[in-house]
Amino acid sequence: MSSPGLQGLRPWIIQRISAVYIGLFVIYFASVLLTSLPLSAGEWRLWMTWPVNTISTGLFIIALLWHCWIGIRDVVLDYVPNVVVRMMLLTLVVCVLFGSGLWMMKALILVLAQ
Amino acid sequence: MAATDSRPFFLNLIKIRLPVQGMVSIFHRVTGVLMFIAIPFMAWLLDMSLQGEQGFSHTIEILSAPFSLFVIAIMTWSLVHHLLAGIRYLFIDFELGLSKQQSRYSAWLVFIIEFILLVLLFWVVCL
Repeated sequence: MSSPGLQGLRPWIIQRISAVYIGLFVIYFASVLLTSLPLSAGEWRLWMTWPVNTISTGLFIIALLWHCWIGIRDVVLDYVPNVVVRMMLLTLVVCVLFGSGLWMMKALILVLAQ
Repeated sequence: MAATDSRPFFLNLIKIRLPVQGMVSIFHRVTGVLMFIAIPFMAWLLDMSLQGEQGFSHTIEILSAPFSLFVIAIMTWSLVHHLLAGIRYLFIDFELGLSKQQSRYSAWLVFIIEFILLVLLFWVVCL
């Protein structure tokens, strides 16, 4: 494998650091959900507008997308030997992740604007 | 390759018996891919749930459908397994539990804690 930018120590470290953040956020979020169900629409929006939650959720989205990119990239590199198919798949993954990221960020920003 | 070599001649996925460490590993991959597929749907649901009363109740409605409950169950398992297996890999990154015996124990530990957590979650949410 000689595609530039697809190997090395940097993604390996980012994978681990993002994993720790994602893990902590998931535990925090799950404990919020489990202790406050059933949520109302107002409570849910209010929770999201609390700065700690907006910022930690925004960071979570970035960490998740980055973590996911590295993981799926590794899976594609492992199982898809054909360079053309590989690049097409990786491009699709980038589009899906980037689009989802924009969508989630839009939702967060609109909550603050309301 | 020697004629006496008893390793599998071809890779028949059904005939391969993975050791428990291998089970943790392949499920780590599978659950990662499953959660990747879920990301666009999560974006859709997050956005909708934050759009007033109507969007929120529509989100709840979608999440309560029988098929959604099935997907939520798969995703909960995926998250729990991926998280626990990930914690195990972090220990291994720090060169803790590298021996064959220790790695076998920690792999079993992942499945045991996973099972307990899922039972607890089911109990808390459904009862």
